[in-house]
Amino acid sequence: MATIGASFSGSPTRLSTPARIGLHVLLFLFSTIMLAPFAVMLVVSLIPNTAFLARDFSPANFSLQNYVRTFEAVPFGRYYINSIVVAVSVTVLQILISSLAAFAFARLRFRGREAIFLFYLATLMIPFPVTLIPNFLIVKNLGWYDTYLALIVPSLFSVFSTFLLRQYYRGLPLDFDEAARMDGASSLRIWWQIIVPLSGPVLATLSIFVFQGVWNDFLWPLVVTTSETMRTIPVGLAAFVGQYSTAWDLLMAGSVIALLPVLVLYVIGQKWFVQGIALSGMGGR
Amino acid sequence: MTPHTSSRRLFRWRPDQQWEGYLFILPSFLGFLVFIVLAVVMSLGISVSEWGLTGFKGFAGLINYQQLLRDPVFWQTSWNTAFYIVTIVPLQLALGLIMAVGLNQAIRGALVYRLIYFMPVVTTIVAGAIVFRLLLSTNGPVNSLLASAFGLFNLPFSAPNWLGSSQFSKWSVVLLTLWKNTGFTMVVYLAALQGVPRELYDAAHTDGANGWQRFRNVTLPLISPTTFFLFIFQMIGAFQLFTEPFVMTRGGPANSSLSVVQYIYFAAFRDIRMDKAAAMAWVLFIFIFAFTLFQNFMQKRWVYYESE
Amino acid sequence: MKLKRMMGIGALVLMMALVLSACTGVGLQPAAPAESGEQAMAGEPTVITWAFWGSPEEAASHKRVADAFMAEHPEIQIEVWNQPWDDYFTKIQALWASGDAKVIPDVAFLWPTPRYAAEGVLENLDPYIEASGYNLDDYWPGLLESAKFEGSVYGFPRDIEANVIYYNKDMFDAAGVAYPSDDWTWDDFLAAAEALTQKDANGMTTVYALAAEGGKWTKWVNQNGGGILDDYTNPSTCMLTDPASVAGIQFFADLMEQGYAMRPADLNQAGGDAGVFSSGQAAMILQNTSRVSAFNAAGMNYDVAPAPTPADGKRWNGAGGAAWVMSSGSDNKDAAWTFIQWLQSDGGGQTLYTEAGEIFPALQSVANSPAFMTDQPPANKQAIITEAAASDVGGFGYFPEWGELSGSIIEPGMEAIWAGEVDVESGLADICTQVDQFLADNEYPK
Repeated sequence: MATIGASFSGSPTRLSTPARIGLHVLLFLFSTIMLAPFAVMLVVSLIPNTAFLARDFSPANFSLQNYVRTFEAVPFGRYYINSIVVAVSVTVLQILISSLAAFAFARLRFRGREAIFLFYLATLMIPFPVTLIPNFLIVKNLGWYDTYLALIVPSLFSVFSTFLLRQYYRGLPLDFDEAARMDGASSLRIWWQIIVPLSGPVLATLSIFVFQGVWNDFLWPLVVTTSETMRTIPVGLAAFVGQYSTAWDLLMAGSVIALLPVLVLYVIGQKWFVQGIALSGMGGR
Repeated sequence: MTPHTSSRRLFRWRPDQQWEGYLFILPSFLGFLVFIVLAVVMSLGISVSEWGLTGFKGFAGLINYQQLLRDPVFWQTSWNTAFYIVTIVPLQLALGLIMAVGLNQAIRGALVYRLIYFMPVVTTIVAGAIVFRLLLSTNGPVNSLLASAFGLFNLPFSAPNWLGSSQFSKWSVVLLTLWKNTGFTMVVYLAALQGVPRELYDAAHTDGANGWQRFRNVTLPLISPTTFFLFIFQMIGAFQLFTEPFVMTRGGPANSSLSVVQYIYFAAFRDIRMDKAAAMAWVLFIFIFAFTLFQNFMQKRWVYYESE
Repeated sequence: MKLKRMMGIGALVLMMALVLSACTGVGLQPAAPAESGEQAMAGEPTVITWAFWGSPEEAASHKRVADAFMAEHPEIQIEVWNQPWDDYFTKIQALWASGDAKVIPDVAFLWPTPRYAAEGVLENLDPYIEASGYNLDDYWPGLLESAKFEGSVYGFPRDIEANVIYYNKDMFDAAGVAYPSDDWTWDDFLAAAEALTQKDANGMTTVYALAAEGGKWTKWVNQNGGGILDDYTNPSTCMLTDPASVAGIQFFADLMEQGYAMRPADLNQAGGDAGVFSSGQAAMILQNTSRVSAFNAAGMNYDVAPAPTPADGKRWNGAGGAAWVMSSGSDNKDAAWTFIQWLQSDGGGQTLYTEAGEIFPALQSVANSPAFMTDQPPANKQAIITEAAASDVGGFGYFPEWGELSGSIIEPGMEAIWAGEVDVESGLADICTQVDQFLADNEYPK
């Protein structure tokens, strides 16, 4: 079993024409459902709040005014920079740390491995409101309140990422490690030169997932920052939801702006993701 | 002797792996101890105390837990959360797999479809929830569509009050969650499907297996580690559902869509009952932990690993 | 084997938990009030951190108030700390939990005051009031009760919710209904509602007579002589099954059942009462003065009237509002008091907020001054004064657990009634069972 791996294939068989048409209809239907909310988001972001509340969607109301106003109403540019700094650092460092641990959990044998892992797994289910205040106190005592450190460091240790990578690493054939060890390679080398290059698809998936999670995280940045200059986009957007009224127009415009970089990242990641799959198709072996 | 057993023996021969193992997990483990274990342990301490805004006021023993068991709202939220789990998890796995299998065929536009399905995953949940409120409102687009469909086929139904009735409010949350997360399931499944070796299909094809049989006997077992991962992941997601009902229905009407975690949040930050919140979290945690142990045990029966 | 090891880990965790909670318990005591930092250096202004919630526009108006204060008091510098409404409480609680006097605001806008006072994070204002001779009689009747804890004042409500009926004059004219009088009754209201409501061929309402938020029910109950609890500071039993309370709830529920009033869940989905009133989907709303500036900006043809009362009932308005409080951990308490006192004075903050159309003031003198009595619509400002003058307890509990009781049991129970999912009698009976159990669990009456 483990020796197979000469070629991996995305498409098992060719489809007949009726089957292909049927498939397209189904996929198109899914697409419509998935896209409908975005259409609403876009429309609301393009008309003034008063027009939206009166459900007046006449073409004369449409303009890009809300996008400009979003930047005028709050220092959105600064929020943007903060979000990028935090999301990029967390994504890179978290995956690195998780990957090391996952490699050990999946492919090294040491005492207590299963027990420690089960311990990790168990904490995956701790509901976050409960760790919120303790973590706030920890960060406060470390003197990190209202700094990038508070936004970044506690998010670097993800049981979820470790779990995901371990699942993937367990699925890779052990022959590679074996052959490399025969050649005298260290575990660190095996991890960096064999396992990491082989995990293209899973790393692409995971980085997009981690990035969007941090990008959209709200409660934690809210609690550990206080100055305007440390706010991230979701915390900034929340300012448009008031006690008595909501600035729907600005909220939606801000959400569309916030969506863009993640979408761009995904489009880029998707290309790499396909390459990653081609590479991990192990054609290079 | 198969290569399988030889590789196991080779691994056991290397005593230095003991220390290497610890070194590899060290960075992760240190952070884990400080930001997860310490926080969790503190919350356990809080749950057996009387804990106010400014901290410790006295030991309470199990009083917080006893109060909880008598609290009808806690039972209501437990039931709601159970509902979310049994609807969201299977539906999301099934829909995600259907999408992934569909996109794993040689068809035009697969990349575009994939992008479209994934877009909700990267969208701010708050914006998504607000849009769903508009879509599902009593006179909203969804109900207009349903009403005309019922009219067309002369069906004796009326469009539901998605957000304003106890009967449907949970379903609104389920719909939003499916929209938001199915794309992630799809992508993970797709990565798994693309890792299935072609030779196995060819072999099955030669043996005369039809499409469904190949899917059932080759694909499903080979992607079972992924299914296991997604299953656990979605279970946890469903157990911890928070933002979706929080923004869309505020848990209403009549607590009908209130999730356990949302109730924990209210206890902590609306009612300033940190102790009660911590006790609830621990009840939830014990429950999920037991479930995970059970799953970890059960997975041996249906999950297939190459390197074992 | 594995199980044994697991249990070992479990025991270890539990031990750590107990040790840690004991340690953190000590560490978490609020910091001792800093050694007199007041006017540390002559000439340097004392810095006061001032916390409030609000959108960017609201924040701008608060900043104008702070500027006006600093112009009058150059010795005090106000630094504002602003968060969106939804997140303000989570955030400020985290600050208090840190026990760090440096980050805790000196003066904050807060609700519900008794909950925080019970936690010991608020300064008892009685000594300051006594020393300065600050006049408490100018507040609307019952209003200060909402900011009291164990008999002492812990905050000053900034405004009061004076709920009145806003009515669309054009729609009344079109339906041939006379404008509401200042002493109209529930029966008059029902007659007007029937004439104003428009229904389609299927009997579905297209234009509602009334759109009122679900939370406004306390008015009908108290007008009719009913109540929520037998005592609002130290309750012993739920009063919602009292016939007078039931009749009040029934009045509101019937309005919805007959299609005269929009169900609160539908109202919420339709964009709130301001939205349906400005778009002509409802002829009347029951609301406080927070809508005035929006309706004036939209140039609507409307006026306000006092709420209708039952024939043998009374006029009643809920006395409560978010209050300015002082943090007990503040290291500049005298300056904080100077600021709070100025905020809550005629000619100070009260007047500025009222002139800006932001609030209906907590002080009667300001309400009767030109700051409120402008020539802007609504014309019948006396209606608002009439409702405010009838303010009384009965809308909220003034004990620490009220927020939990109301948010988890009473309001959700009411939602089931407004949705028409349970009938009024059994719905209220169910609420009262849970309320009584909650009170017993929390050892009330104390």
